[in-house]
Amino acid sequence: MRIELKKFGNILTSRPAGKDAWSSAQAYILSDLNSVENIEVDFSGLAVLSPSWADEFLTPLKSKYTDRVKFLPSDNPTVKATLEIIEKQRQE
Amino acid sequence: MEGSSSNIKNAWQWAVTGEKVFLSTDYFCPTRDVFQARLDRLLKDFEKRLTIGNLTYLLLAAIGEIGNNSFDHNMGGWRDVPGLYFVTDFQTKEIILADRGRGILETLRRARPEIRDDQKAIDVALTEMVSGRFPEQRGNGLKYVKKIIEDNNLNLKFFSGQAMAEIKQKKFEVLSSKISVPGTVAIINF
Repeated sequence: MRIELKKFGNILTSRPAGKDAWSSAQAYILSDLNSVENIEVDFSGLAVLSPSWADEFLTPLKSKYTDRVKFLPSDNPTVKATLEIIEKQRQE
Repeated sequence: MEGSSSNIKNAWQWAVTGEKVFLSTDYFCPTRDVFQARLDRLLKDFEKRLTIGNLTYLLLAAIGEIGNNSFDHNMGGWRDVPGLYFVTDFQTKEIILADRGRGILETLRRARPEIRDDQKAIDVALTEMVSGRFPEQRGNGLKYVKKIIEDNNLNLKFFSGQAMAEIKQKKFEVLSSKISVPGTVAIINF
């Protein structure tokens, strides 16, 4: 399964929006996931991603589905910087 | 504020004094939805005027984090008028985000009761993983902002209480401020 983040908006920066997106994804996207399927997170087409949004969406996604979640490569500098800081936070 | 536009100066004056005469509905965001809409519009403005590539997106990410912080940490706790003053001046290449919320020291007090002064509070907010919304595990937004400013050689002044953090030519320092800012004010030069 592939989750395209651009479908949640172009500028993803706020916590409430991230939380809302996570609730929506659980109800309407991840409910179709079978028990062995992997999840690809696609950042293409996104202008801005920041840690607040990501912390409410990507952090619980990764916590719940662990190694089944794969972040597809992105050249977007805000995506790179956000994933870096989220990963650092996870390790701490 | 020398050389700044009147809109930037008005935002600063409002943040310091709370006097409504400085408020402008063109730049004031009373709710997060208005702020988000103005952020969307700013992306289009940047794309039209500048050819700085990735820096546009990084700047917007930093602005998004600072602006959303105002709403995250001050809901139900604004000093007077709820909301955020948000001005971008393409001529002077300045951005100001100002609120009249709790301020950094008050925000961090629950999570870190040992912090007693504004300078320490600003320093912790910009350098450590800590959130005022204790016991929630969060608090990386301002570290992200600091990294963007430093990595891209931008300038930031961040005021709260009687302290100011400054990042200039990748050098970070926290100083005392002669003017007291009850909430927070961030000024970015791009």
